[in-house]
Amino acid sequence: MKLLLAFVIMLVIAVLGSRFTFLDRRASLGFRSIMLTGTEYIFIGVLLGSLGLDILDTEALKKMEPFLILALCWVGFLFGLQFKIRDLKKLPGFYFFISAAQAVMTFCLVALAMYFILKPFAVATALIVTPYVELPGIALLMIALTLGSSSSCTAQSALAIVSKTYKFKNRRLLDLMRYISGLDGFYALCFFAAAVSILPGVGAAGFNLLQSLKWLSFSCILGIIPALIFISLSRLRFSNQEFLLFLIGTVTFCGGLAYQLDYSPLISGLVCGVFTANFSRHHMRAFSEILHAEKSIYVILLLLLGAAWKFQTGYILIVTAIYITVRILGKLLGTYLGAKIFNPGFKVPPTCGLCLLSEGGHAVAIIMSFKLLYPSIAEPLVTILVLSLIVNEIISPWFILSQCTPIDPLLGEKKEQA
Amino acid sequence: MVQRFLSLLLILAAMASIVYATPFGQPGTISPALVLGFMLLAAYCIGFLLEQKGLPRITGYIFAGLLLGPHFLNFYSKEAVLDLSFLNSLALAFIAFCAGGELKLANLRSKLKSIIFLISGVTSVVFTGVTLVVFLLSGLMPFMSRFDTVTKIAVSAIFGVIAVARSPSSAIAVISETKAKGNYTDTVLSVTVAMDVVIIIFFAVVMSACELLMTPGSSLSPVFLLDLLLEIVVAFVLGFLLGKLIIFLIEKLKVEFPVVITAMGFLVIKFSHLIGDYLQGHLDMHVNLEPLLICMAAGFTVQNFSKHGSTFLHRMDNVSYPIYIAFFAITGASINVEVLKTAWFLGLVIVITRIIMIYIGSTLSGRLSGDPPVIFRNTWLGFITQAGVSLGLLAEVVRRFPEFGPAIQTILIAAITLNQVVGPIAFKFALFKVGEAKR
Repeated sequence: MKLLLAFVIMLVIAVLGSRFTFLDRRASLGFRSIMLTGTEYIFIGVLLGSLGLDILDTEALKKMEPFLILALCWVGFLFGLQFKIRDLKKLPGFYFFISAAQAVMTFCLVALAMYFILKPFAVATALIVTPYVELPGIALLMIALTLGSSSSCTAQSALAIVSKTYKFKNRRLLDLMRYISGLDGFYALCFFAAAVSILPGVGAAGFNLLQSLKWLSFSCILGIIPALIFISLSRLRFSNQEFLLFLIGTVTFCGGLAYQLDYSPLISGLVCGVFTANFSRHHMRAFSEILHAEKSIYVILLLLLGAAWKFQTGYILIVTAIYITVRILGKLLGTYLGAKIFNPGFKVPPTCGLCLLSEGGHAVAIIMSFKLLYPSIAEPLVTILVLSLIVNEIISPWFILSQCTPIDPLLGEKKEQA
Repeated sequence: MVQRFLSLLLILAAMASIVYATPFGQPGTISPALVLGFMLLAAYCIGFLLEQKGLPRITGYIFAGLLLGPHFLNFYSKEAVLDLSFLNSLALAFIAFCAGGELKLANLRSKLKSIIFLISGVTSVVFTGVTLVVFLLSGLMPFMSRFDTVTKIAVSAIFGVIAVARSPSSAIAVISETKAKGNYTDTVLSVTVAMDVVIIIFFAVVMSACELLMTPGSSLSPVFLLDLLLEIVVAFVLGFLLGKLIIFLIEKLKVEFPVVITAMGFLVIKFSHLIGDYLQGHLDMHVNLEPLLICMAAGFTVQNFSKHGSTFLHRMDNVSYPIYIAFFAITGASINVEVLKTAWFLGLVIVITRIIMIYIGSTLSGRLSGDPPVIFRNTWLGFITQAGVSLGLLAEVVRRFPEFGPAIQTILIAAITLNQVVGPIAFKFALFKVGEAKR
């Protein structure tokens, strides 16, 4: 009964919520940013979870795992579909380099900071628990690298809100920021794959380079096999209904394969998407079909994240504050250095990294994926991400406005007066 | 065809490497997500390949579920199939919404006389004939041997009512495949679609009567009939209200519409059962709201009391394929081969009896309603197919009678599978025979 109620509530919130998230245009920028990225669904998840009404309790969450697997693989697949190499080659190189510079810088700084800050607390506060208690150093490194990878993601939501509301003089800067935020998720997922490969699977006895390389190779194989199936199925003539079946079947099969073998559905989904984008004639059609469910899938992820959140106080709040600060620093420094080294040919303000604070969906997918693979040590990561997500969504529109000079007052207000 | 075969080999090889070989380490139980993905892709390919050999796709999906499941290739366990059984509820809701949506009053009015005669004639003859034959053969069914005569009659009636059901989706598929048009085509389609409504009401009546007959010390009374009438009226009212809600939503939602509708249907199915169980357990009231009737009434409301009928069907149709494949494959995987080994003969007898009864019922009704001979001599060929609704009703039988429901399900799945193989071939033949098929 409880599971049924949880299932239906989640489904209806996900579908209806994804439609009504964009409506209120008169609210403040920060509030709208929260609404656009759907951060409010984390709170609804909290309300439904063990901290609230307990409808989505631990047992219900366990039963929801197939949906989580599907959602994570869906996110990876959708993102991967955008990486058609022939199309990407048409973009100016500096987009990739500046994006990579800021992603690498943020990843390194946050991972380093997290490793050294969490180290003194790790065992004392039971951050590292069974079965990793024998490997505190390696488990901690994996946690730090995962936080580093989630920090390097940038969501496009804040940029979208600001550019919808204002007109800007330096349009090219805004475009650069938009491309950076569109691309850095790829680097983040690569960092995440590297992070998880350090201790692949619950049964891993310690770090072993060969095992890690094997894990990475199999992650790719588990993405390529479903992609080959999809390509092979879609080579003959098919109807719309059949195409939808190919997509749903491929993504579910890919996520199921990965999860079954202790691999990440997110990473395998990404590989599957990239492979499909580059070798299937129907990748654009696949993209547009998959995109339909994007918002609903993100809402489900956010609801599950909120429901799984066990709020922690004390040291983890300090760690979160440091995470947010170092992330801002990483974005600032990375973008500054990137723009200096790979000159884009127009003026880029030295502090334009502040436009890239919004954290969004990929970070959530990374942390949920980590939680799926290593549930016993994922709690602090969830807390850090939830708090960071809220703070970043509130502040990011203001920082974007501080960097890009608007030439028009609020368009929304103008329209209303008209 | 070779392409699909290669795809199937690739899917099977990937799954086999997990289930049989152990290059990645020994897996524990197979995750439901993996089973579902595998089932969708493999059943699709098998359905496609069998279609090339002249068999209907639905047969392929059921066969795939059976072949890949715990009894043969063992790619997934019984438990894994059980984990996916929630999909049956989703599919049932879907089937019922679509069946109601197919029922257009304007189309039915023009052939009202024929439809009434054919429905009442075929229903009564098939129900009586199959019930009687099953009752006479009850000694051959091990699970019925311990029942008293009244219970045997009740169980036989369940066989009888399921035998009455048809498959509008299969009929529509054959008509569109042959591009058939004409009087015969319209008659068969109208009766098949209208029959879907009748069968669900009839099923609700028979099931309630059976439950009553199997309860010691109870008997049929006017109060029971009033209760039954009340259950049906309440189901229609709830369906109408649900239909109105769908009409409201159809304008507001687009891509998400089928998901919301499916969730609604799921909710209706689960809560109807829960309400029944609750009233029985806490208030000792025997109320069985028939969820399929509610969903069908909702679909009917959308089709006939709004301008969104075709949009409704179109949107449902867009996403129905994966749900149907999963439903049919799970049904195939749920077939109990052990029971089937002992009951295949009964399934065959039921199929033959049903076809004979359909022939008698439709010929007599056609004559009485004044249909031209070319129609009433061939209508029986269009009424053989069975599929989604029959399987849905069987799932309901298993839920309500868990002690002997699975045995009935196994025998009747064999019969339905056979009807599903023979039915479309027979209908196609009839369409050519009456000269209404274009290709």
